Amino acid sequence: MAAYLLNLGVLISIYSILAITLNFIMGYAGIYSLAHAVFFGVGAYAGALAAMHLSASIFVTVPVAMACAAVLSLALALPALRVRGEYFVAASLGLQVLAVTIFAEWKSVTGGIGGLIGIPPVDLFGQAVYRPASFFPLSLAVLAIVIVVTRLLVRSSFGRNLTAIRDSESAAASFGKNVPLIKTISVVISAALAAVAGTLYAGYLSFINVESFMLDTSVLVMAMVIIGGTGTSWGPILGAAILLLLPGLLSYLSFLPPTEIGAIQQTLYGLGMAILMIFRPGGLVGRGKARETKSAAKVAVGQKPPAVEAKAEGAR
Amino acid sequence: MNAQAHMPAAGAGNEVLLEIRNLDKHFDGLKAVSDVSMDLRAGIVTTLVGPNGAGKTTLFNLITGHLTRSGGSVRWLGRDIGGMKPYRVARLGIARTFQDLRLFGDMTVEENVLTVMEPGALPFSLSGPSTAEKRARVAEVLERTGLSAKARTRAVDLAYAERKFLSLARIMATRSRLWLLDEPASGLDPNSYELFLRLLREEVASGVTVCIIEHNLDIVVSISDRIAFLDRGRLLADGDPQTVLDDPDLAAIYFGDRT
Repeated sequence: MAAYLLNLGVLISIYSILAITLNFIMGYAGIYSLAHAVFFGVGAYAGALAAMHLSASIFVTVPVAMACAAVLSLALALPALRVRGEYFVAASLGLQVLAVTIFAEWKSVTGGIGGLIGIPPVDLFGQAVYRPASFFPLSLAVLAIVIVVTRLLVRSSFGRNLTAIRDSESAAASFGKNVPLIKTISVVISAALAAVAGTLYAGYLSFINVESFMLDTSVLVMAMVIIGGTGTSWGPILGAAILLLLPGLLSYLSFLPPTEIGAIQQTLYGLGMAILMIFRPGGLVGRGKARETKSAAKVAVGQKPPAVEAKAEGAR
Repeated sequence: MNAQAHMPAAGAGNEVLLEIRNLDKHFDGLKAVSDVSMDLRAGIVTTLVGPNGAGKTTLFNLITGHLTRSGGSVRWLGRDIGGMKPYRVARLGIARTFQDLRLFGDMTVEENVLTVMEPGALPFSLSGPSTAEKRARVAEVLERTGLSAKARTRAVDLAYAERKFLSLARIMATRSRLWLLDEPASGLDPNSYELFLRLLREEVASGVTVCIIEHNLDIVVSISDRIAFLDRGRLLADGDPQTVLDDPDLAAIYFGDRT
């Protein structure tokens, strides 16, 4: 039981890192990416290969993984950020599909469908960390670092630049902000930090294959962000915890037929998402709907009449 | 239309900051701006007037790079800036407001002003003013625009006049040399507009050059050193306020009894 909970804790930490890093671009820069699992995967493969062929030290595997994901994210960011938001979603979906093919087919590097096996455990100051009891604190510590780094960025001038761009790209540009460059940097940071989660994942399981890095994972992580609260600090972690705990909790309900659990789970996800988006579009942690509409109404009421009056006045 | 002929206007001897020559902008055959030539001279207020659709905002968009010209040139201190991206134009010292304000809605009033002082793309700025200096400047600008009490309010939650002043506060904070203001006073109540006029005069006195689009003739008369009259994309007159405003042909166009 303890091992089961610790294992869940590790997975929640890893997926929280993914959700936080996706929220960094979704919530603050307004960039919706369906390719987050690609950077998770690149981090996992690069970290695993570094551990197998270079050194299993976390101070080697993590930087290698981050660098690979950062470089690859440029391939997505540079062409795609020049176009409007909707096209970025499509471009990221394209990258996701392409990456899955490469993960599955580039046998000499990724091991193809069979994946990579026998990945050495994470090495921290010469100690192999592989038992859930010791891996859980490590994953929590890494999660804490990712939280601190992203919070610092969001509160810095960089975070304000992202929010400014999200709220009005043309106004941001007219105040001297290089919009494509700032967006590119945000995608690179997000991808590099997602790769950290990949490295932890590979070292923890000692086996990876393409199935962990497919479109479902990208969608799952996006769901974690939306359910928890896009653009909030703690929402993505709450979303990750809920979506990973739900299957386990369902299996405790003895009246549910075990063979149907999968289908029930999917139905609950779907219903839950739909209900949430209707009543709390900001997510569980996000601002409630009432306040949004109130301020929107205020703007509408406050803005229109004076503008009309002014025209009338001018033409008097 | 002979209003253009030899009128000595205020600031006539001042340095030309922005020189517009034969500027054209066509949208699929519609001439939004057609063969406009004019100078924005340092230290004065030049007002763009004209009926709706005259091309005033389009002219701003051509200067700031939000639109690409079809022909002609725009020079800033002698350097051609046509075709430059908006962020580069902004960094030269040309700031603008938008008719629809385009505030950073989810950010607080304070953050809206702070972020315009931080154009750098990197997460950590190695040069430029310190955080303390920036905060002090934010506080000063908010004080002057009467927004101090709202510093921590989100921009979307502001009342209409407050939103207009936040738009102004943002460009005050940039310390730009040239301000392009798109109907900054429209819809303001009398008290607010007294404050607006006072701020504008103070800024001009401290060396800011202003080009403003304004419909309210009371405001136009009280702030303009020079008036440029546009209609259907063409510059019909450019000179001292009284001469332009007294021209009966222009008045006929402005008030809509075109014959």
